[in-house]
Amino acid sequence: MWLPLLGIIIGIVLGMVLPFSVPVAYSSYMSVALLAALDSVFGGIKSHLEDQFETDVFLTGFFGNAVLAAGLTYIGDRLDVPIYLAAIFVFGSRLFQNFALIRRYLLQRLKKKPNTATNNEE
Amino acid sequence: MKKTRGGQAAILLVCLILGLALASQFKNVQNVGGSVSLQRTQELTSEIQKLNQEIAGQQQLIMDLERMLHEYENAAKDDGDFNDTMYKELERSRVLAGLTELEGPGIIVTIDVVKINSWYDESTIIRNVYHDDLLLLVNELNAAGAEAISINDERIISTSEIRNAGDFIVINTNRYSTPFVIKAIGNPDTLEASLKLLGGVADSLGEELEIKIQREEKLKVAKFNGYLQFRHAKPVQ
Repeated sequence: MWLPLLGIIIGIVLGMVLPFSVPVAYSSYMSVALLAALDSVFGGIKSHLEDQFETDVFLTGFFGNAVLAAGLTYIGDRLDVPIYLAAIFVFGSRLFQNFALIRRYLLQRLKKKPNTATNNEE
Repeated sequence: MKKTRGGQAAILLVCLILGLALASQFKNVQNVGGSVSLQRTQELTSEIQKLNQEIAGQQQLIMDLERMLHEYENAAKDDGDFNDTMYKELERSRVLAGLTELEGPGIIVTIDVVKINSWYDESTIIRNVYHDDLLLLVNELNAAGAEAISINDERIISTSEIRNAGDFIVINTNRYSTPFVIKAIGNPDTLEASLKLLGGVADSLGEELEIKIQREEKLKVAKFNGYLQFRHAKPVQ
């Protein structure tokens, strides 16, 4: 359960220390891709809690969504259509949905725990 | 949970990538200074417009006053021989003081920064243009007998300052940034030669800046547009 948080923290620390940075020109694509990635991770946590987690679905979703979002933003920029708004809207609302589900599962588990303390340990 | 060990590794890997991307984006946004809100943009735009109007108004005032001055001078000139010499003397003083637009042969020197491509940023510059670079050039041109010098159409006169102010260089109280165009009237051969001396100014500055020197048969140097007044200095009787 704490793996994602650990991963993100290590990643941020690494990113701050390493002199690696995305060119400013690609900053807008990067931000949309980031949102898609963030959504995938939340989705992953949700399916993990539902015990429906599948590695291949998760991995392809993570990279696929990020690339698709950035690509759509790029095409939108070329065509002068703000497609990135669609990406932000979809991923943003899904993020909140996923978070709401995660919260519910965690709360349920918290409530159950006092009753079933003996079995079901993670 | 044992069976999803591979899954946990995947989550860790993906979150690592996400963290890396987040951090790089953080740094990016910090470098750029974040996005400026639309409202702030509009505020600043309207402020610029207001100031531009103010500048236009002031320039109109200057022109009006100059026209009046001309009328007085013309009236004085019509008065006779004595006044005629007075007028000529006045005109000569104005030329010497830099209050008239002048034309003649000379050179145009353009100074710009050199942009290099690095792998993370397309517009890295080797170094900026500083006030001492301009001072060196002006000094050299004056030494070579330049009769009138202007930088970005700011006439260099006896009280002109050339100094750094943040990323700008202030000349005659106006702010300028690259490229700088120096126009100098004088003997083009002498002027050009003075800058292109072996180990001279153009040589040493040219290592880090882009310096173009161009001869002109006829170029115009703008007049001084500011306001000249001595409050403390008085001629000795």
